[in-house]
Amino acid sequence: MPQLAFFSAISSFLEATHAATPTLAPLHLLIGILAPAICALLIAFFGSRLPLGATKAIAWIGFALPAWCALWIAGTYGAVAQSGEYQFLWQADLGLSKLLGIQLMLGVNGISVPMYVLAGIVGLAAGAYAIGSKVERQPLYLVLLLVMQSGLMGIFSSVDLFFYYFFHEFALIPTFILIAMWGRTLSSRKTVAMELTIYLTLGAMITLGGLIGLYVSSGAEAFNLIALQEALATGTAPTQIFLMLLIGFGILVSLFPFHTWAPPAYSTAPAPAAMLHAGVLKKFGLYGLIQIAVPLLPSGLAGYGGLLMWLALGNVIIIGFVTIAQQDLKRMLGNASVMHMGYAFLGIYAFSVMGAGGAVLMMFAHGLSVSLMFLLADAVERRAQTGDMREIGGMAQTAPVLAGLFIAGTMASIGLPGFANFWGELVIFTALWQSPHPWVAIAAVAGIVISAIYALRAVARIFFGEPKAELAATGDLQGWEKWPAILLLAALFVVGIWPRGFSEHLDAALAKQYPVKDVAVPVATVTDQSHAH
Amino acid sequence: MTVGLFHYLAVSGLLFIAGVLGVLLRRNVLVVFMSLELMLTASISALVAFSRFNATPDNPMMGGNVFVLFIIAIAACEVAVGLAIIVALWRRRQTVDLAELKGMKQ
Amino acid sequence: MDAQLQILSEFSSSHHWMWLWPEIVLAALALALLAVELLLPKSDRWLLRISLGAQVAVFAALIAGLVGGTLPTSDVALFAGAIQPTLSGHLMRIFFVGCSILVCFLGYLYLERRPLARAEYYHLVMIVTAAMMLLAQITHFVAFFVALETVTIGFYILVAYGRNSSYSLEAGLKYMIMGGFSSGLLLFGIVLLYGAAGSPTLIGPAGDPFQFGQLGAVIAENPGNPLIVIGALLVIVGICFKIGSFPFQYWIPDVYQGAPTPTTAFLAVSSKSMGFYLLYVLLTGPFLGLQSILVPVIGIMTYCTIAFGNIAALGQNNVKRVIGMSGVAHAGILLVGILAAMRGVDWAFQAIFFYLITYALASFAVFGVMCHVAPDEDANQEREHYFGLMQNHPFLGGVLAVGLGSLAGIPPLAGFVAKAAIIVAAFQAKLYLLVAFVLVGVVVSIFYYFGWLRAAVTNPHPEIQGEPHPVVAPSVGSRALLAVLALASVVLGLYQGGLLS
Repeated sequence: MPQLAFFSAISSFLEATHAATPTLAPLHLLIGILAPAICALLIAFFGSRLPLGATKAIAWIGFALPAWCALWIAGTYGAVAQSGEYQFLWQADLGLSKLLGIQLMLGVNGISVPMYVLAGIVGLAAGAYAIGSKVERQPLYLVLLLVMQSGLMGIFSSVDLFFYYFFHEFALIPTFILIAMWGRTLSSRKTVAMELTIYLTLGAMITLGGLIGLYVSSGAEAFNLIALQEALATGTAPTQIFLMLLIGFGILVSLFPFHTWAPPAYSTAPAPAAMLHAGVLKKFGLYGLIQIAVPLLPSGLAGYGGLLMWLALGNVIIIGFVTIAQQDLKRMLGNASVMHMGYAFLGIYAFSVMGAGGAVLMMFAHGLSVSLMFLLADAVERRAQTGDMREIGGMAQTAPVLAGLFIAGTMASIGLPGFANFWGELVIFTALWQSPHPWVAIAAVAGIVISAIYALRAVARIFFGEPKAELAATGDLQGWEKWPAILLLAALFVVGIWPRGFSEHLDAALAKQYPVKDVAVPVATVTDQSHAH
Repeated sequence: MTVGLFHYLAVSGLLFIAGVLGVLLRRNVLVVFMSLELMLTASISALVAFSRFNATPDNPMMGGNVFVLFIIAIAACEVAVGLAIIVALWRRRQTVDLAELKGMKQ
Repeated sequence: MDAQLQILSEFSSSHHWMWLWPEIVLAALALALLAVELLLPKSDRWLLRISLGAQVAVFAALIAGLVGGTLPTSDVALFAGAIQPTLSGHLMRIFFVGCSILVCFLGYLYLERRPLARAEYYHLVMIVTAAMMLLAQITHFVAFFVALETVTIGFYILVAYGRNSSYSLEAGLKYMIMGGFSSGLLLFGIVLLYGAAGSPTLIGPAGDPFQFGQLGAVIAENPGNPLIVIGALLVIVGICFKIGSFPFQYWIPDVYQGAPTPTTAFLAVSSKSMGFYLLYVLLTGPFLGLQSILVPVIGIMTYCTIAFGNIAALGQNNVKRVIGMSGVAHAGILLVGILAAMRGVDWAFQAIFFYLITYALASFAVFGVMCHVAPDEDANQEREHYFGLMQNHPFLGGVLAVGLGSLAGIPPLAGFVAKAAIIVAAFQAKLYLLVAFVLVGVVVSIFYYFGWLRAAVTNPHPEIQGEPHPVVAPSVGSRALLAVLALASVVLGLYQGGLLS
């Protein structure tokens, strides 16, 4: 009896799909990408002629199908995969294969399945929130979010590095437009969007250069990860490429000191865009390091690991203090998300199955919790008409459900036991403790204290103290705000109490590429040592 | 002293340099235009000289001489079109001084 | 009499006139157009229909010939080796006809609103195109120079075509001086090569030094000869004027701004592509023996071109100048492809050709929108004219967004795949620093392309910026054409088919 992934517990109907043949799986991968794109096209072309209700119905389909596909893939992968290899491979030649070895190649392995599920769940939550909220020119708003969702599903199901990059840009461009057109304040949104565009395009271009350098210097005939792994198993590539990828991915993930784009962008972006970007799209870079850069260029990590460690500590400590000083709620969250990226980088730095596994777990948990927090912060801001925490107070009395969810989300992002973030941080700290520099673990744990300070202070300021009179009439969360938040919180909670369902296939995939340090830890138990090489 | 290939080439080189400098330095369009023709003339004289001095009994090198005819025809076309443009511009602007033709700077 | 006839028939059979039917058809129809205008006065639409119909027929027949394999291959030499059909030459011929069709259509949009001569515009475009198509196959410097001058002199008139605009005449004059200057340099270079390669004092002098193959053999034997080096450099400088690479780009902003918009498009796409193809043919053909000198020279030029084009485009407000300077940056990226080809990347031509196609599609989409937005004085197209375009004319705004996005190289548009292909080629040629230059250039280009788009999405306040600038509503025909161009940019970004192989 194969272990079922925890996701099957979320909806029992998945039990039935395990019987279905895995040959249906590539179809699901394809639907995950195409469904939002097609829905976006439908709305773009017919949105002006349809009633708003019909547009929203189409958007619902566009967000729900990928989520369903993600759960289906997770369940099916849990049932069939034993080896940590890529599964459900499907490829199509789009014309670049003869010359450049580029093919549209879809598939998932143990590392990408969690991220794929993350994209599905956060996409559904952000989509539901966007459909429910009242914005100007909503059809176009939904079109852009659907395009983003299509790109996100593509990133984590691409085996071909060209398309992996391609889908990332596909999701990135709508982010810029969303900020430029629906950003928080009229005065700043175009400037913020322009800055973000320049900064992230620079990061993306460095990444592209690194990926192409990897492809050319590996001598592989194809651009996909499988062929590159085979080619680099015998050959080597220059370690400078690792530095290029580290900086490129680092800019995209807001590695210190390349993080300055993140706080203004997240505090300006409309909530669904911030959820999708901070929650999922930003993980592109970390995923790229774990899945591509470190396994293919381990000598690069050996050479630049020290640099990575110091920069990641900068994220945790320096940005941690910057976060404490913030007065604006969304700006604080933007800084906090930069800070938490430091943990994931430290997990990668540890260079072990455990460290990388912890980083993936952290990415998953952080993706859910940060999008939950952006959603709730948007709800707070709409009620208070301001983001300045000094001017909000006593909201727990007028909006108890909002307060409850917000406190739960805060606990999750600090890393309280019972939520997924806890396991992520615990595994990373353990991995760091076993690394040559155990003191890094101590410094990182200090970050927990920092995040407890700013997060609890924010809760205290917003929800307790003197209630403001003008807040009385605004009321509690409505259905369209409540249910996406509950969905995200539930997912965090499920992984928090049952991390084992999450980690097994992840370990199997990581063990093929990362050194195993044989210490039993609660989560990242390496079940099958034979996979180690 | 017999006049050899080198002398022809020296003259044509001087003509060419005079033409280039004229185009780059002079401001009157008509003088610039003449300098352009000077450059073509330099090429023509060098071509003829090369054809004459590189010829061997089994290869008379007539290609260069034929090319000269083409160049003359092309130069005539260029003059026709060029003068037409200059005249039209004179009618609108009353100037053919390049220093005064700066209507399109930002 | 019989003997004369026999000579004529031998003449025609040995020269294979019939293989040049596309060029002959175009030139004959161009002449016929002038007659048609005399016979049918006030027949704007008919002129357009005839020229477009003829060119579309030639375009389709050439594609059919290429696919069906009925076009002559490289083992047929025409005119005693003056013309040599190659696969890449055929691709460029098709490319030039395609561009010519689009230029004629833009020309119609431009002429429709102005009291200018009609038939001559189409006539000149077709003649110039025929000369470009010849150039794509020529392997002899006499024919090369004659065809190149046909193109250049045709462009003098096309640039100065707006006779009632002093900007257009000024641009025509400046283009004529620069064109004449570059032709003078090029010609002197040809003459030096002819003299050096034909000199009996060298190892293995060429019988016909104008012929590319024989010239190449001499150069390979005598790479250090100073006359040969100077001659080759002059020829390359002459061509670099056409493509507008640094430091030969200074004519571009004024000429692009002053020329009628369709002519600007013709210059930006066809003339530049022609320059690149000639550069490619010369550098990978007869000048192959001079690599040790030419690679560094062109390398330095490439760095400067990318840097200069991007930086200069930042400061422009006139959109035609933006297009001009950004075209310099594109020339830099194409030069990277040329360098890769010189350093032995065998598929570099495919990358260059694909880049040219995507550049043409995107540029014509943008120029098409410009033709609709342009005020009566064609030279004064400011960014402010685009305020409110997305709101009031979403179709034109969308096409502009796709075109500029593709020029900037943003996925999923075709420009991205083209840039990626060039970068891969550069990596294979070990041009790492140039790759970095290209990537930074792309980031900088976001500024000016998005600045333009930002104007299009800005909704003007009537009190501050006045009423939105009047825009000509696109007709059904131009809607269809622009839609095809934009769609092609999207489709080629996702599916390249056989175009890159």
